[in-house]
Amino acid sequence: MSRASNFPPPFSPRDYVAEPTDPADERIEVGVLIVGAGPAGLACAIRLGQLLEEHPDVAERLGDVPVAVLEKGKQPGSHLLSGAVVNPRALHRLFGDRLRIDDLPSFGPVPGESVYVLTRRAALPIPPPPPMRNHGNWIFSLSQLGRFLGERAEEGGAMILPETSAQKLLVSHGRVLGVRTGDKGRGREGGELGNFEAGSDLVAKVTVLAEGTQGHLTGVALDRFGLRGEDPQVWELGVKEVWKVAKPLDRIIHTMGWPLRPGRKYREFGGSFIYPMGKDMVTIGLVVGLDYRDASLSVHDLLQELKTHPKIRKILAGGERVEWGAKTIPSGGFHSLPRRLHAPGLLLCGDGAGMVNIPRLKGVHYAIESGRLAAEAAFRALQRGETPASALSSYDDAVRASFIWDDLYEVRNMRQVFGRGFFVGGALASAMTMSKGRVELGKMPAEPDADQPLLVTDRDKSYPAPDGALTFDKLSSVFASGNKTRDDQPNHIRLERRVPRDVAQLWAHMCPAQVYEVGPEEGDGTVKVDVAPSNCVQCGAITAKGGRLTPPEGGSGPEYTLT
Amino acid sequence: MATLVFLEHHGDELQKGALGVLAKAASLGDAAAVIAGPGARALAGEAGKFGAVKVWVCEDEDVAQPVPQPRVDVLAQVIDDGGYDTVLFANSVLAADVAAGLAARLDAGLNWDLTDIELRDGELVGKRPALQDSIYADVGWTSTPRLALFRAGSFDATPTGGGEPEIADVSPSYAAHSGSVKLVGQDAEESSGPSIEDADVIVAGGRGLGAPENFTLAEELAKALGGAVGATRAVVDAGWYPYSAQIGQTGKTVSPKLYVALGISGAIQHKVGMQSSGTIVAINKDPNAPIFEFSDLGVVGDVHEVVPKLTELVRARST
Repeated sequence: MSRASNFPPPFSPRDYVAEPTDPADERIEVGVLIVGAGPAGLACAIRLGQLLEEHPDVAERLGDVPVAVLEKGKQPGSHLLSGAVVNPRALHRLFGDRLRIDDLPSFGPVPGESVYVLTRRAALPIPPPPPMRNHGNWIFSLSQLGRFLGERAEEGGAMILPETSAQKLLVSHGRVLGVRTGDKGRGREGGELGNFEAGSDLVAKVTVLAEGTQGHLTGVALDRFGLRGEDPQVWELGVKEVWKVAKPLDRIIHTMGWPLRPGRKYREFGGSFIYPMGKDMVTIGLVVGLDYRDASLSVHDLLQELKTHPKIRKILAGGERVEWGAKTIPSGGFHSLPRRLHAPGLLLCGDGAGMVNIPRLKGVHYAIESGRLAAEAAFRALQRGETPASALSSYDDAVRASFIWDDLYEVRNMRQVFGRGFFVGGALASAMTMSKGRVELGKMPAEPDADQPLLVTDRDKSYPAPDGALTFDKLSSVFASGNKTRDDQPNHIRLERRVPRDVAQLWAHMCPAQVYEVGPEEGDGTVKVDVAPSNCVQCGAITAKGGRLTPPEGGSGPEYTLT
Repeated sequence: MATLVFLEHHGDELQKGALGVLAKAASLGDAAAVIAGPGARALAGEAGKFGAVKVWVCEDEDVAQPVPQPRVDVLAQVIDDGGYDTVLFANSVLAADVAAGLAARLDAGLNWDLTDIELRDGELVGKRPALQDSIYADVGWTSTPRLALFRAGSFDATPTGGGEPEIADVSPSYAAHSGSVKLVGQDAEESSGPSIEDADVIVAGGRGLGAPENFTLAEELAKALGGAVGATRAVVDAGWYPYSAQIGQTGKTVSPKLYVALGISGAIQHKVGMQSSGTIVAINKDPNAPIFEFSDLGVVGDVHEVVPKLTELVRARST
């Protein structure tokens, strides 16, 4: 019985922390550097734009580029994927009376909702458990919302630098000075191609890491500054599709149960979501906790299986898949939050910091709110004209005083109880929610996803064969994500390439983008893992399950437009 | 409409892609061509066969090397002298640079990655694949000169039966910065037979070949058919074959007359790179392989058995 964590990747966070190397006059200097053009980073940029407009004297002091946002995707939104049913609260707070929610690119308020427990053939409706009630929330495509927020941020004066990855954290004398961006135009073995372009040192007075789930530099910073939380972070993997459909769906649907197995030994925690996106589109996704044990489990194939359920087949009938994507979701909750959300010169926001409420299936509004609070903390420090080590601590105070903290505290033990099996866990979870978190079960042990001892079942034998109409293989799905990553660039995935067969199988089945394949026997009981890095849609599952994702060349990866 | 086509040549051969664009231009009206570099004059007659009524040649020392900037000077001069309002290019590393440089020089609009062009009520309309080649967008120009860069293999290079063209010399004054790029070296990749972009026949191998050494099956068959060898991304990734042979979404896009797929499953990423081939023949032992859905002839069988026999038959036929 293997554990993926016994085969750690050749990766050291230290390799990604560096002093600036460009000569001082070649560094690009900005005021506030935000890494990641997602809801957190863009909310931060938007709020900074508002504050700097009100205080031109501060803007003046920040130089030509007061606010810069790095984005590794082709444009803001390219790498954004979520449900997404969004609690509009944080958007209201960000825009105030500058914008009405109707001005945002949404699919309107949640029209109604159903929750079903599925078996292979049947669907048993249950009353929506309290945390899953979505009255008053709005349906968005997060990718579209990202593009919209990007435009607003640029209007507010932020400079967005797309197709630029943040490769290294620049630290000098214990203080974060900015980031070094990734090189472009390297060949497979790392050599410089004709179009080689070296990365640059971007230095800033304050650096905000808003990288989203599995943030590369966020992980590096948590280690460098000893910020990891009480519990290790754990993740879930979501795979979703957007469909053009023949008839509109009139409510949002969540399902539990099939195709996941209830047996406690499998540790299969998750469920599906099916949301209308206007009159002619529907999104369907399946989310599964990455603390599962079965090496033959594939969330992508389970989603394909889910679509064959009579109830769901009916919703998609006559329709056509138009997009596909995958992403991890940090699910450790309160106990996995970093000990502090700041370090000298550095702030951590959103999903990167683990601000996700799994029982409520919400995180976007925490990302936006934390980005806004980070902007205010950075602005306060900059207004005083100094950024000493403790100057950014007001951000931690602000987050602790916000609804982010209250909400996450309320459901602090929710995720762990599901390790006790779905039904027992479900009952405990309901008890916790109804009592607003007052039921004290004691803190439950938590272990990293990659520590789970592996099982190998023949679950993969029963995945439906792709028919190209309702069910799809992984490669055509990668195509539908818009991914056309340059093949001859260095491999960005750190992974132990010789592992026991079950670990290789785990990675091969887990990866929704068919990056890993079980290769030939190496003769000593291990097999070689073949890696096709250009398939990667940067979901981050490999980091949870024993490898390490680093950012590929800027501009690589999916080009989501509707997810 | 006065159309000029940029013809690229290497040695004593004009690029087929550019000749295809020329033939297309000639079908729309009078077309002229420009050839710059050593041996340009000798190739003018060849350009005539593909429809050029006039060929501008430049054999200046400044264009001796295949670098873009001096060619921008040449084209700018020809456009000025000849009064051309439309300039067409066939995509190549050099042509793309020249087209971009010319667009900047003349402040002209460049539509790139076109696969076709037509006259519609006197208006020039380009066809450009969009959304991962799932639709064609009509594109036009709002000013002249109109520049267009066509995707490789957009048109067949079919002689139009044109006669001897008029030949005109051009020798522009070269911009100072045009001489600042120097060619430091040139290496030709070892290869026998035509390149995959130009070949009429491509034999491509996928992972179904089983092992790198089995690529000899593809090479032998390609040799017998007078074609080039292509490869899928999976085998290039695995190091079985060089990246230059990769066909597909992230490799090269090809459109030979005959495409033979050996042990290729036909993932969509591969399909988009070869779907415009004339006749597609697939040999694969998996009857459910997606490639059979878009091949003209499918053979369900083991490549190790079928291919040697096929090669033998082709050889027997051609001797």
